[in-house]
Amino acid sequence: MADFVVIAPALILLLASGVVLFVAISGPGTLRPVVLGALVIAGVFALAQGAGGQNAEAFGGAVRVDAFSVFFAVLIVAATIAVILGGSEWIESRAQRGEVYGLMLASAGAMLLLTQSNDLIMIFVALETTSIAQFILAGIARDARSSEAGLKYLLTGSVSAAVLLYGFAFLFGLSGSTSLQGIAAYVAAAPEGGRLALLFAFALVAAGFGFKMAIVPFHAWAPDVYQGAPTVVTSFLSVASKAAGFAIVLRVFYVGLGGGDSYIANDWAIMFGVLAALSMTFGNLAALMQTDVKRLLGYSSIAQAGNIAVGLAAVAAGSTNGASGVLFFLGTYAATNLGAFVCVMAVSQRIGSDQIRDYAGLARRSPWLAGILTLCLLSLTGIPPTAGFLAKIYIFNSAIQASGASEFTSNLGAQMVGAPPFVANLVDGVVERWLVLVVVVAVLNTAISAFYYLRWARTMILDEPPETSALRVPAGVQGVVAVAAFGVVLFGLAPTPLITAAQHAAAALH
Amino acid sequence: MEHSTDALFGGYITVLVAIVMGAILPVTALLATRLLAPFSRERNKGATYECGMLPIRRASTSIGMRFYLYAILFIIFDVEALFVFPWVLTFADSPSAYWTMFAFISILGAGLAYAWKKGALQWR
Amino acid sequence: MLTLFLMLPIAGALTLLLLPEDQRIKPRVIALVYSGLAFAVSVLVFALFDPAREGYQFVQRFTWIDASSAGFTVQYALGVDGLSAPLVLLTGLLSLAAVLVSWNIELRPRAYFAMLLLLEASVAGVFTSLDLIQFFFFWELELLPMYLLISIWGSGRKEYSAMKFLLYTIGGSALMAVGFLLIGLSAGTFDIAVLARTPDAELILPGALVFWMIMAAFLVKLPVFPVHTWLPDAHTDAPTAVSVMLAGVLLKMGGYGIMRIPVSLLPEQAHTFATLLATIAGFSVVYGAIITLQQRDLKRLIAYSSVSHMGYVLLGVAALTPVSMSGAALQMFTHGTITGLLFIMVGLVYDRAHTRQIADFGGLMHHVPFIGVFMLVAGMASLGLPTLSGFVAELTVFLGSWDAHPIATAFAVFGVVLAAGYILWMMQRVFFGPPSTRWASMPDATAWWERTAVLGMAASIVVVGVYPAVVTRVIEAGIEPIAAIVGAA
Repeated sequence: MADFVVIAPALILLLASGVVLFVAISGPGTLRPVVLGALVIAGVFALAQGAGGQNAEAFGGAVRVDAFSVFFAVLIVAATIAVILGGSEWIESRAQRGEVYGLMLASAGAMLLLTQSNDLIMIFVALETTSIAQFILAGIARDARSSEAGLKYLLTGSVSAAVLLYGFAFLFGLSGSTSLQGIAAYVAAAPEGGRLALLFAFALVAAGFGFKMAIVPFHAWAPDVYQGAPTVVTSFLSVASKAAGFAIVLRVFYVGLGGGDSYIANDWAIMFGVLAALSMTFGNLAALMQTDVKRLLGYSSIAQAGNIAVGLAAVAAGSTNGASGVLFFLGTYAATNLGAFVCVMAVSQRIGSDQIRDYAGLARRSPWLAGILTLCLLSLTGIPPTAGFLAKIYIFNSAIQASGASEFTSNLGAQMVGAPPFVANLVDGVVERWLVLVVVVAVLNTAISAFYYLRWARTMILDEPPETSALRVPAGVQGVVAVAAFGVVLFGLAPTPLITAAQHAAAALH
Repeated sequence: MEHSTDALFGGYITVLVAIVMGAILPVTALLATRLLAPFSRERNKGATYECGMLPIRRASTSIGMRFYLYAILFIIFDVEALFVFPWVLTFADSPSAYWTMFAFISILGAGLAYAWKKGALQWR
Repeated sequence: MLTLFLMLPIAGALTLLLLPEDQRIKPRVIALVYSGLAFAVSVLVFALFDPAREGYQFVQRFTWIDASSAGFTVQYALGVDGLSAPLVLLTGLLSLAAVLVSWNIELRPRAYFAMLLLLEASVAGVFTSLDLIQFFFFWELELLPMYLLISIWGSGRKEYSAMKFLLYTIGGSALMAVGFLLIGLSAGTFDIAVLARTPDAELILPGALVFWMIMAAFLVKLPVFPVHTWLPDAHTDAPTAVSVMLAGVLLKMGGYGIMRIPVSLLPEQAHTFATLLATIAGFSVVYGAIITLQQRDLKRLIAYSSVSHMGYVLLGVAALTPVSMSGAALQMFTHGTITGLLFIMVGLVYDRAHTRQIADFGGLMHHVPFIGVFMLVAGMASLGLPTLSGFVAELTVFLGSWDAHPIATAFAVFGVVLAAGYILWMMQRVFFGPPSTRWASMPDATAWWERTAVLGMAASIVVVGVYPAVVTRVIEAGIEPIAAIVGAA
């Protein structure tokens, strides 16, 4: 029984999901209070677990509740509440509102389990549960675009699940254990013959998770699904699902590899570094051409995933604050992206379009929404005084710190025949600090991203609106965006509490 | 665990050989027929029947969605059976096994009830 | 005190943004009150600044972001030394002038004045920050108000110019962030005062790379050839007050940054690249001046003259002697007031004539003597007439730089000749000559707000020109420690 108390927050959500589904088909009834109530109870329960400060294990160590999982539990529950409040107009107007609520709860509950999982089988089960609910959610609007999104998500999701499972099979085959600690013990023994196989296994696992995080080259689904799925679902995917994806990657790679000290750490640091650079560059370049706001945010989320992956590379390269950087970034990103998406939902619901050009003059029709959306776009770009600025600085700092700690040596310069010695030394100096190069790519990408984020902001503020009638937005939605905007500014000006929480959570991984 | 990677990958050499052989055989056969066999380019060659009545529609017909729905519902209980067989063996040893299986089947039952209520079993 | 200087404009901006639409108090009055108070504080800071004391003064610090366990601690640290104190005064003065010359703005005045005050706050933050990350925070914060001010209240190709400004600045400063993080990592702190005590600390990358990563941002901001092309566009399309702020204080962020960060923290690299920097400076002076000669638009003319004049600043810094750097610091102050005044005068002309083409004008001195006289004062100061402030600054730069970089200095001196050419030629074409019928009814500047702004700026030019010690005693106190660091390297 004690096992069930440990996973109570997730259980509450999963049970509530079933209840909501049954209530919905047995007749009309108010579902929203039940859904929100379940989320709040689960959140409070998770917080109480965190306040206890004790790590708890359940089901023979397959589930582990620690500060790390509590951090994500609170993040995911808060994001789900915000999505449901912000999107309530759309959800309540649908015939399938019961399914939307139920599946969202199921998906969120499984995400909580995912962030607590400490065992390959548990990880896979939780990941599939959350994914399957999302496949249906993506297609739930049942129009052509939404169906396409659902199918694409389903197909790519299944393939990536298969790849992930293949990687898990390798890990199990090598270490003979499905628990992360068992794998860590195998890795710590540093079997020289197992190096190649381990790398192969971790590459497969990274590919499988890369799909969830939407980093290049596992991103192809993201723009189509983001654009096609109902905006409520898109915002859920881009915040909660992405956070859960990064959470489990951190846990698998950090715990499974012993915190970046392992003998293959350098290899997967390079892997994540390269993936990060590719993600940022590709996401930003593709976003430059977009005219649809949801598609733009889809590409932007690929680029932002690249920024977060810089933190993963830093973790691998031995930074002490890479993991907390990832957590801090995800926290600020959640506030920022939720603010942006809820604004988009509210506006699209009224102007009936997702095109950037139809946002023209929004500042005059709804100064509130336009102002907060602009603030969120500034935060995505990384301009102070918003949270995005500090999040980027913090995560880049961790990468540079890792670069300083790294013992990677290069003899590329020595191999350059005929090059003057100072050139050879410079090449070696730069290659040995390759993580700094990744950061340089990242900051240059910031300049690229400024162009498309601010072009959208400019359209809202400067262009002439097609009609001047004011947009009326219900108080609930206004409240959600206000809270998100408050978070964006608060984390930008007084980030210490969130950083402390992130560090506390990251320390639980050791 | 002392698993040698060489053993792991050594085992895969066999798989690789099998894949290569498996690829070579059909490709050779297909190429040989393509090169050696006589080939007619006549239009009626592709018709469903070479004589008799003309086909009215395409040979491939689409199967209704409801068949898939039934197939999915069937698979769920098919897999359930897979779990029940090993359960039978340990049932006698463990008192909690009864309730575990009870919970498992109840969840499946609830799912079926949901599908039923939703009208998924209605042949429309 | 410095927090007050920083918070007054922010408070003003918030007051303006949060006030209801239909309040009785005009936005401009609120802006005037807040910028006036900020100016008073800046005067107080400058007056109370004690050149005899070492180190930073009016220091306020507390830990802003505490992640010390992860080696990432950012302070909120404000303070001024002799280098930044005059620039603080300049910021206060020009912001007040900018509010005054925007007195008759009609398009969304609340937002306009809020952005203007936010701009003042961010520039003030750059000049007073003693922490690299905090410095970068304010450096980037300045982008938003500037972008909006140009793109909403500008004229001509305003959106193009605003975006160009934004992309140049972000592109330039992107690498600066990496440079700051690299410096901070090796020293374990981002505190500028602490870092300056141990210059040329061991870095994990070649020092030259880090030096140029940081330098790039400042050279774009300064600006010098070949990264100056955003400046004429931004100036031409910006409203008058924004031009005043841009030329008067924003460009100084570049010069100030060079002396405060790359030169003070990486003096060895500064020595290595001094000749290269001086060459860029000398070329920039002459190139800017030659381009200026060909301009047909009044505002563009002054904008290009800024490129030329900021070349002197870089030349003074590149010489790395106490005298030349004092000259550079003084040149920043004087160029701020002189070019600020020039832009105000051009703005006054443009408000009346609705054209800035030099060819359209002629004989304006007969119709608008007040504008004409003060345009002449500013112009003379700009070309370096003795007893006006420009002369003192340029002379000091040349004296200090001659030994170190004779050829570049010779080029720069030639720039003064060209400056006389373009200023006098412009004056002759616009203000002198026979009275014109087209402009016969042009009203002179008589409103109190116009006159206050003009007279205040002109007074500062004359005072510094006649008695430079007002500013130089402070500047020398600030340059001394930097020169000591550079000399030791």
